[in-house]
Amino acid sequence: MTDQQRPRRGQGELEALVLSALREADGPKSAGWVQERLGGDLAYTTVITILTRLLAKGAVTRERAGRSFAWTPTSDQAGLAAHKMYKVLDGESDREAVLASFVTSLEPDDERLLRELLGQAKSTGRKQGEGED
Amino acid sequence: MGVFVFLPLVLPFTAWPIARLAEQRLHPRTATRLLTGVAAVMAACSTVSLGLLMVVGTAQLPGNPLPDGWSDPEVREAVPYDEVAGKLAIPALIAVLLACGRTGWRHGRVRLRAHRALAGLPGTEVAVLPDEVPYAYALPGGRRDRVVVTTGMLSCLEPPERRALFAHERAHLVARHHRFLLAVQLAARANPFLRPLRTAVSYTTERWADEDAAQAVGSRRTVACAIGKAALVSRGTPVGTLAGLAAPGPVPRRVTALLGPVPVMRSWPSVFTSVGLAAWGAAAGTVVSALSSANSAVTMAFILYAATPL
Repeated sequence: MTDQQRPRRGQGELEALVLSALREADGPKSAGWVQERLGGDLAYTTVITILTRLLAKGAVTRERAGRSFAWTPTSDQAGLAAHKMYKVLDGESDREAVLASFVTSLEPDDERLLRELLGQAKSTGRKQGEGED
Repeated sequence: MGVFVFLPLVLPFTAWPIARLAEQRLHPRTATRLLTGVAAVMAACSTVSLGLLMVVGTAQLPGNPLPDGWSDPEVREAVPYDEVAGKLAIPALIAVLLACGRTGWRHGRVRLRAHRALAGLPGTEVAVLPDEVPYAYALPGGRRDRVVVTTGMLSCLEPPERRALFAHERAHLVARHHRFLLAVQLAARANPFLRPLRTAVSYTTERWADEDAAQAVGSRRTVACAIGKAALVSRGTPVGTLAGLAAPGPVPRRVTALLGPVPVMRSWPSVFTSVGLAAWGAAAGTVVSALSSANSAVTMAFILYAATPL
């Protein structure tokens, strides 16, 4: 390995790098172009692997161009992050153990109760006018 | 040590009343700290007891790696029903250790993966993800604590309610609620009788963050509306799945609490109220639990020391 001094970059970071390189391009580009663009310190196969991963995540599309593929970005960094985050949350059945999410699910009865409560809150809020806020 | 070795295994029962009463009668901050502390101590004591029983149980097995002296009748006499209890303790302790290890590992993995998902974004405190699925949560650790929220969630809230949402998530991060949650998770794995405390703490941490958010934005009603609206748009999304809880669920209870008066901050409730009685009961249970396991551990150490041929 030639880049042993370099701190090892995480998967997510590499995907972000490749995606941003493609987004700076003005049209579909080949994997070789991406590799060159990133300064050539990534192996060609690594670039291909990352592009394939991005394809699976729906962040890029590809079309055949001669013997290889030309790649086009379809989402931006935030879109890719959103997709990955959805995967993380979807894959964890007991994520509420780890991530304290803002709200939890509602039972049907809860929903009715909640609508009543919100209705009450609104009507008392109207009565108080701008008193509280 | 006699029957004392079994006490820490069943004493978590004494914390059930407080787990039930604390969320309504105590300030959420007091309730969270009290319940987490009780759960942590009781879980540790229960695991120590299991460990002691396991030593007795393992020493009975032929071909065990423990010193021969440990299988002396003298050692076994220290534990009532040593044959059954000892042998049951072996799988029980293994199950506890595996479950706790798994919980800790999952906790780390989810946080790591969530931070990785955000790797390409600028390192701001709030990460807004373009996703129609409405969710929001606090993500501790990594390079910095972050608040993750989707555009789907933000679009259903008015600006003051968004501030309430951010204040709520920040309160989680500032007060390090994930540590309380992990502690009660592990405790519930160590002794299933501690599960009501886990449920209670996951609710009281939310209430704690709600109250802090209400203070930060200066309106309890705004926080209540934000929670209500967020819950109504979140239903049916994969993010909200939580095992069915007894009605009414946590969200309506939180909204009701916010629409009610500000909870009073008391250091310790009077013994003459039901919640005070429950708190003292749990405290007594915790102390007895700690003393029993300490007593058992010391006794066992002496017995084993005497039984070990040196």
